[in-house]
Formats: sequence, structure tokens, C-alpha cells
Amino acid sequence: MAGNDPDDRSRDADRINYLMGDDLDAPLHPDDQAELDAFLALVDDPSLWDEPGPDLGDRIVSAIAEEAREAGLVRPTSALPPPPPADTISATPDNVVPLASRRRNRILDGIGAALIGAAAATLIAVVVTRDDTSTPSVAEPDATITIVGTELQPDASGTAKITVVESGVRIELDVPGLPRRDGDEFYEAWLRSVDGEGLVPIGTFHDANDVVLWAGVTIDDYPILTVTKETVAGPKDPNQGSSGEVVVRGQLGG
Amino acid sequence: MTVPPPATLYDRGVDVAVLRSFSRGDEGAVREIYHAYGRLVFTVANRILNNRSLAEEASQQTFVQAWRAASTFDENREMGPWLATIARRVAIDIHRREARRPATSIETASASEPALVALPPSAEQTYAVWQVREAIDALPPDERQVVRLQHLQQLTHAEIAEEIGVPLGTVKSRSFRAHKLLAARLGHLRDGPDGHDPPDG
Repeated sequence: MAGNDPDDRSRDADRINYLMGDDLDAPLHPDDQAELDAFLALVDDPSLWDEPGPDLGDRIVSAIAEEAREAGLVRPTSALPPPPPADTISATPDNVVPLASRRRNRILDGIGAALIGAAAATLIAVVVTRDDTSTPSVAEPDATITIVGTELQPDASGTAKITVVESGVRIELDVPGLPRRDGDEFYEAWLRSVDGEGLVPIGTFHDANDVVLWAGVTIDDYPILTVTKETVAGPKDPNQGSSGEVVVRGQLGG
Repeated sequence: MTVPPPATLYDRGVDVAVLRSFSRGDEGAVREIYHAYGRLVFTVANRILNNRSLAEEASQQTFVQAWRAASTFDENREMGPWLATIARRVAIDIHRREARRPATSIETASASEPALVALPPSAEQTYAVWQVREAIDALPPDERQVVRLQHLQQLTHAEIAEEIGVPLGTVKSRSFRAHKLLAARLGHLRDGPDGHDPPDG
């Protein structure tokens, strides 16, 4: 934040004074105001100040040790010392009452309202979370979406883990609420375009517990995942098209 | 020519040898990695879940997943963004699990439907939380105490002075020093791409 220009130094001082809670004679530069509001939205959030329990480290060590044992890994005893106690910040007595009337709260209220508004605008039927790590790990999907039942199968729900690799899109479907279909009956999964014009089959299966499907189309073009009830094609349906009886669906993106 | 990995993994001073021991499940290495990053992982998870117990569960899962994937981790990269990304994803999964939704067609669901969940914080927002927490942790204890009372408890300088029993001028100078340090350490968040890489790099 520090700059060599006198104006920059003045703005730095204003920003710091603002953060300190000192009133300023002149309003902040709009860029500074936005920057500081964003910072305050973080630093004023109580969750930022919480501390993990003192036994969390031990639990993590135990969990990893257990998995290492199961995996048959040798886990040498280390000479490294145990972690020092948590670097706790001195606690504040319970009788300290937060002040609600400060200017900062008004700003944060505004920010909060804006964030809530933004969040409301992004409400979607399913949650798509993109994996932002570039760490190559087959076990980690790029996204996990929620699958919900339709009126035909209202009790069904589950997830689909999406992993995009060079050879295609791997979709690990897990919808345990779907009853098994055998004999001439089965399920078929599809990727559909938003306009409904494109429909690409991505696999058939008896039940939807941990089914791995593969798609050779992009999820940008075909963002809707559906599963239909099907029966082995008869004379009326020689091409084994979709029955249109969608039992669950989810949205991969778009 | 192969560029040798750095001896130290960026900001938290974790040695590459410790990372390798971590990937083998060495208890001391796990403890060292946890000591370096545990609070930050917890903070990211807590920011998303807003629940200490669930945030601890997410933290545990984060380190277990990191251990599983440690052998694939590029030692030339910073470990913090990688862990922050895992923590964010794990926390979102837990949030989704906790927000059990009734099976409802997405076409007919109303806006108040529990299944309809707001998008979680972005990776950049999550990493900003991480870095703010990291900057606060790096403050001297007396300055951190003032910042904590000021921001978490929303106390004025005068109230802080009364609370901790020091002169008002001392509180003001501690606050000024602390915020100056925070401003310097977090300036890269404003600077964008020239600062630290966000965890999607």
C-alpha cells in the first residue's frame, strides 16, 4: 500500500486511519473505500477469529496414521517435536458488549446486503463447484453436483462427480434412492443441451449406486444430466431412443 | 534443464523433506504440516461452514486428502493455495451434506427450497480469507489483541484501552502499527495478478 508519491502516502494514511476507526475529515477515495470495505468484511467476520480445538492436530495425526497402516505404509517414528500449543489470542471477557452503532457496521451492513443479494441472484437448483487445483489426482473430481428426483421418482437424490480428462468427461453417478431395474428394464443416462435439441446417451445401468459414465461431449454444450427409465427396445423403438421418463436430473453447468 | 525444487515451501517455512515425509505418513511431518497450516485450513472451512465442529471435521478431511495426494503435489508450488483449495472443496461437500434437501424436481422447486443453495465463496475469496488470517497471525501478540478487539468485538480505542488496561495512546499506536503491517502484507490482494497466485493457478 505504501507508495513514494506524496499523494499515495496520504492515501495510505487515510486508509490506515479508516481501518483504525478514526473519523476522517474527507471521504476516502472510492477505490480505497471499496478495498477497505472488502477487507473489513473479512476481518470483522467472527469466523475469521475462531480457533480449532487443541486436539485437532492429534485427531488428524491419528486419522492419517490409521489410513497409512491400512495402506501398508511404513510410518517411521519421527524425531520432530510435537507442535507447540495453539497460539491463542487472549480471550475477551463475556461481559464485553459489541457496539452496534459504529460507522463500520453500517458499511458492513451494506456489504452484507450486497453479498446476500448476489448470493440470492445465484441461487440455482444444483450446486456446481469447480475444482480449482491443478494437482493431478484421479480421486478428486473437478465438480460435484446434486442430483434430484423428478415427480416420477421424488424420493431419489444423490450426487454426480464430474472429472474432465483428455479422453472425455467422467461422471460418477451415485443415486442410491433409485430402485434397481433388471431383466428388460434398465436406466439410461443422458446429457442434454439447454434448448433440449441435443440429447447424448452416456450409458445404461441396473442401479445408480456408484455408476461410472463417460461422455464424449462437452458439459458446456450439454449441461443437463438426466436419467430415464428404459426397456429393451421393441419394434416400436428400434433405435433405443429415450423413453422421456426422466427419474432424476441435475445440472452440470451453464 | 530441470529446475530444482526450492528448499522451503513458500511462506510457512515447511521444508521439502517434510513434505516428502508427510506423503509417507510420518507422524512428525504430519504434525509439522498441521502446525504450519492447520489454523489456516480451519479458518477457510469455518468461513464456509460457520460451525466450529464441522470446520474441524473439514480440516481433518482436508489433511487426510492432502496426505493421499501428497505424492502428486508439485514441490515447486506453494502448499498454502493447494491446501486452501482442498479445504474449500471439502467444506462445500460437508455443507451440502448438512443441507439435506427433500427430493424435488428442480423445475418445481421454490426459491426457499432447502435444496437450493447459494454458491459458496469463490476460490479467490477463500484464499483471501486465508491470507488475511495469515497476516493477522503474523502480528505481534499485543497488536493482534488490539486488532481483534477492534474488529471482532467492535470496540473503540477508548474501550480497548479500558479493557486491557493500557493508555489510550498505546492502543492507538498499536492499532496504527498493526494496520500498517496488515496493509503492507495484504497489498498484493489489491494488486491482483502481480501478487500471489490464487489457488487456481
